[in-house]
This record gives sequence, C-alpha cells and structure tokens, in this order.
Amino acid sequence: MTWISNTITVFGGLLLAHACYSAQEHAALQSFRAAATSTLTSSTPVASSLPVDIAIETIVATLVIVLGLVLGTRPLRPIQWRVWAGKIEREGEEGFLGNNGEVEKDYMGNPFTYLESRPSFVDIRRQRKEFAEWIKNGGGDAGKK
Amino acid sequence: MAPSLLFNPAKLPPSEALQLAQQAPVVLQGSSSETVDQWATYENLLLACLRTGDDEAAAKCMDQLEARFGPDNERVMALRGLLSEAQAENNGELEAVLKQYDAILEGNSTNLPITKRRIALLRSMGRVSDAATALVQLLDFSPTDAEAWSELSDLYFTQGLYSQAIYALEEVLLLSPNAWNIHARLGEVQYMAATTSGSGGGSQQKYLAEALKRFARSIELCDDYLRGYYGLKLVTTRLLKEQAKQAKQTDDGEFTLPDPKTIERLDELATAKLSEIVRHSTLKDRGWRGYDEREVAAARELLSQNGIER
Repeated sequence: MTWISNTITVFGGLLLAHACYSAQEHAALQSFRAAATSTLTSSTPVASSLPVDIAIETIVATLVIVLGLVLGTRPLRPIQWRVWAGKIEREGEEGFLGNNGEVEKDYMGNPFTYLESRPSFVDIRRQRKEFAEWIKNGGGDAGKK
Repeated sequence: MAPSLLFNPAKLPPSEALQLAQQAPVVLQGSSSETVDQWATYENLLLACLRTGDDEAAAKCMDQLEARFGPDNERVMALRGLLSEAQAENNGELEAVLKQYDAILEGNSTNLPITKRRIALLRSMGRVSDAATALVQLLDFSPTDAEAWSELSDLYFTQGLYSQAIYALEEVLLLSPNAWNIHARLGEVQYMAATTSGSGGGSQQKYLAEALKRFARSIELCDDYLRGYYGLKLVTTRLLKEQAKQAKQTDDGEFTLPDPKTIERLDELATAKLSEIVRHSTLKDRGWRGYDEREVAAARELLSQNGIER
C-alpha cells in the first residue's frame, strides 16, 4: 500500500512545483511587460494578479500532498484499554514496530508483569541452580548456536 | 526475536537469559558517553550474568554502577547484596549476608530495597515464617507497595493458605485495578482453592463463582487474553459438570452464581475464542504471534480433552 501513497505524494509535489514555476513565469512576464510599456508610454503600471488557474493548481496540489501523506501513515495506536492490552497479548512486539521497522522505544509489553515476576524479591540462588541444571541437561547446546 | 536488555530478565527462559549474558563484553566495552538506557541495561545485564553464573562480568557491571551512583545508593546496596547472595557457597556465608542486611537496616530502617532483599533471602533460606512476618511488617509501614502484596500472596500460596493469598491479591488489585494478569492470577488461585477445599460445597461454589467473575474481568480488560479464556473455560466446564451432578444447591444469598444458561454461553464463547487463538497461532498468522507457545499448547490440550474438533 505504501507505493500508492508515495505516488500520490510525488504527484502532488510535481503539481506544486508546476504551480510555483507558472507563478514565477507569470511574474517575470508581467515585470517585462511593465518595463516595456513604461518606456513607451509613461503610464502607471497595471496592477497584476495571479491567474485563477495557478491559484487553483496550488490549492489542489497541497490537498493531494496531504492526502498522500495521510494515506502513508501507520495505523494509529489503540486508545481503548482492552484493545491496547489485547494487542500486546496477541501481537507482542510485532504490533509495535515503528516506521524504521524496529520496536518502538516506549514499548514495554504488559506493564504489570513486574507484579508477577517481582524483581525486588528475586531468588537469585534458585535461578542460578535452575540455570545450571538446564545447562547440565544439554540445554546449553541449543543456546550456543 | 532477540530479548532486549531494557527489561528485567527474570521471566525469560534460560536460553534467552544466556543470550543476554553473552552480550556482556560488547555492552561493557560500549561508548563512554552516558545514554538514557545505559544504567537500566547495566542492571539487567548484571541480573542476567548472575543467573548464568558469569560472576566476572557481573562484578564489572556492579563496579560501574557503584562508580556512577555511589555505594550508599539504596538500589546499588541491594544489587551488591544480591551479588554476595549469589556468590555465597554455604549457609554460613548466607547468614553473614543476612547479618549485613540487618546492620544496614539498623542504620536506616526505611531502606526498602534492602528490606525486600532480606525478605527474599529469608525465603530462599527456607525460613518462610520469618519472611512472612518481615513482609507483613514491611506492608504495615508501606501499604501501597503492590509488588510486596503480590509477594506476600505468593508466599501464602506456596504454603497452601489460599484465603490469605486471595486477600493479598485483592490488595494488589486495589492498587492496580487495571492489571489484567493479576485478575487472571486471582481467578487461578480461587479456582485452585475451589478444587482443593473438597468438603463444604458452599465455599467451593463461592470460590468458583468468584473465579468466574475474575476471569471475565480479565477478558474485559484485555481482548483475546489467552490466559483469561483458559481459566474461564476451566471454571465453566466445572460448574456445568457440578450442576449436572447436584441439581440444586441452596442459595444462601452471600454469592450468586449466574444462571445455567449464562454459564453455558460463557462456555461456548471461551471454547470458540480458544480454538480461534490456537488455530491462528498454530498457523503463525500475522498479528497472532505474541502468545507464549507453551500457553498455546496447554490450550490445545484443554480443547482436545473436551473433545472439540478444531
């Protein structure tokens, strides 16, 4: 889907560039004309305004760019608690990838897991014993790959 | 996916803890400029190294932390204690560590990290009743500590004191009412209390009714919560079975079971949801890969026990 939004944005950018170029050309033409007329007849220069089609093109180009950018954003984050929590449980880290494909910095999984793992009360001796047993049972080979 | 050093490694399986600990040389030689996550990384690396028995790297982490925050920082003191606990080889050395904790607490009895370490050490040494007393004292002067309430509940739970464990978990829920995993945990403890209480059908039914509510609440707080649906399925299956056995239990007004039709519908819902979750995670569908494989396997087993075709 990203290519659609990208093409739309690029197209809008081209339109905008075209509008700017037209406006610049128009202004150059106007000043040239004014200079030419002022040397021939010493009348006041005509007040010049931008043609309507250039103005319309600029507005349309801006809208098209906005459309392209909006289509290209990632889905918004859930704002309902149960949807957000469900997303954490169902998708894990994959549901919280940023635009660069890495897990977002502020992702922390279920914020209440500490109530069950209780890091301040960790029984380090038991953990060490369990780990040593895991190594003894050949678990170390799987982990070393 | 590789585990991150930004989170506490206590819950990780051994293989991932080993992966973390093997990052030690890289992290320890990292750039000298201080970053936001640096000290959390060091702390978690210290824990992972201690667990995997890499005492050398752990000591290096400890030195860095101490150099940055000073040896009088309460958290650093607790980590230092943890280090000496892990390296103690016999009971005598553990006693020495315990004496050290006591000495620290004599100087400053509000040092929470050390108080917690002392309780954990007591429990680890098998002095459970001492640990419980100390924990109750801690909760007396710091009653808003959800982690300590949770530890107390676990302590009682391992002793088989279900009603006390349930009370402590309810306190945790008062402090963090949105914790869906604690709702599920409370439901599990109540279900276990119901299965072991044996005699006295009244209290058993009461526990089951409460467990039903807890699991339902955990699902309300979290869509597609595997653990919640698993518990709900267990409780509804049991309730339906018991209703078939004993037609009518006298209602004494203290608790109300939902009527059989509601239970049946809940049962159907749990079955449908569980099989959906199991199907999607077995196929590794996009957006369904967050579940623990062991949990999914357990759910599959539960479904096949009930003879449900997937």
